[in-house]
Amino acid sequence: MEKTPQSRRSFLTSLTLLLASGGLLVRYLMPRSAGNRRVLASAAAADVPLGGALLFRSERIILLRKDTGFYALSLICTHLGCTVTVTENGLACPCHGSLFDRQGKVLKGPADRALIQLPVEEHGERIDVLG
Amino acid sequence: MISEFLKHLFPRVVLERNLRFSYTFCLGGLAFTAFLIMITSGMLLMIYYQPTPERAFSSVLFLESSVWGGKYLRSLHRLTSHTLLVLILLHTLRVILTGTYQKPRQMNWVIGCLLLFLTLFGAYTGYLLPFDQLAFWATQTGVELLATLPFGTYLRSLLVPDGVGQGLSLLRFYALHIMIIPMGVLQLSFLHFYRVRKNKGVLPYL
Repeated sequence: MEKTPQSRRSFLTSLTLLLASGGLLVRYLMPRSAGNRRVLASAAAADVPLGGALLFRSERIILLRKDTGFYALSLICTHLGCTVTVTENGLACPCHGSLFDRQGKVLKGPADRALIQLPVEEHGERIDVLG
Repeated sequence: MISEFLKHLFPRVVLERNLRFSYTFCLGGLAFTAFLIMITSGMLLMIYYQPTPERAFSSVLFLESSVWGGKYLRSLHRLTSHTLLVLILLHTLRVILTGTYQKPRQMNWVIGCLLLFLTLFGAYTGYLLPFDQLAFWATQTGVELLATLPFGTYLRSLLVPDGVGQGLSLLRFYALHIMIIPMGVLQLSFLHFYRVRKNKGVLPYL
């Protein structure tokens, strides 16, 4: 066996300590509820016509209404994060040309995942979008 | 005492052929000088910059409009960062073209690559801090690109826990930019210079 500068025991000890402290560091770096379950946008139900939508530009959210109820999509393009633009037939991303339909599904373009659907809560007249 | 400190920087023995300018074109030394300028200008900028999403941009505007030398200092910091990256890349090119990465300097080449990566990462974290449109979108795109790597979403939530425009992420980028990365670059630089000196390399600032 080759003569090593470090014994097997001390190598395993150092390795275990390194992995353990690395794991603790990673836990420290990832807080819970760093932006979960709060109301991102809110609107009155009457503001959203049937088959239409309400756009929240700075929050990058679109609240839509279909015959079965309300739903919300994130306007963050799943390709590289630009804000998609709303057109009559669907949603288009100005950066690299990805196209999405009203459900957020990808029609064309470098994006390969659908737009994220955000949970919607109805409280009487108000509709809240959570994130 | 100062002259003794300066004298101790010079090696006792130096090879005559290492004294030619065309040996290294001083690129490494110039890069380190640029880095020292970054540290000094950065420390001065810290006095006015406020690392919260609500205040970041307005603190930069305040620095530029109402602080004597503020506009100059911010431009100096920005332009020197471009210069630093160019000098590091030219230095890397010189090292490759002269074959200096070979035995007995392989370890120093690895340290140099780490330095390149850390400097690039430092420039990337600094880019977000003014929090204008350019900064936000550059960071957003970069983070989405990171997410395409293996374990990408995990790395992404380490770097940006709550979203590029939010407080935790800005603070994380700020901590990385002003302390964690500069400490790493400084320590690796000193190791880098030690190895150069050990291989009977150049004079300080040559």
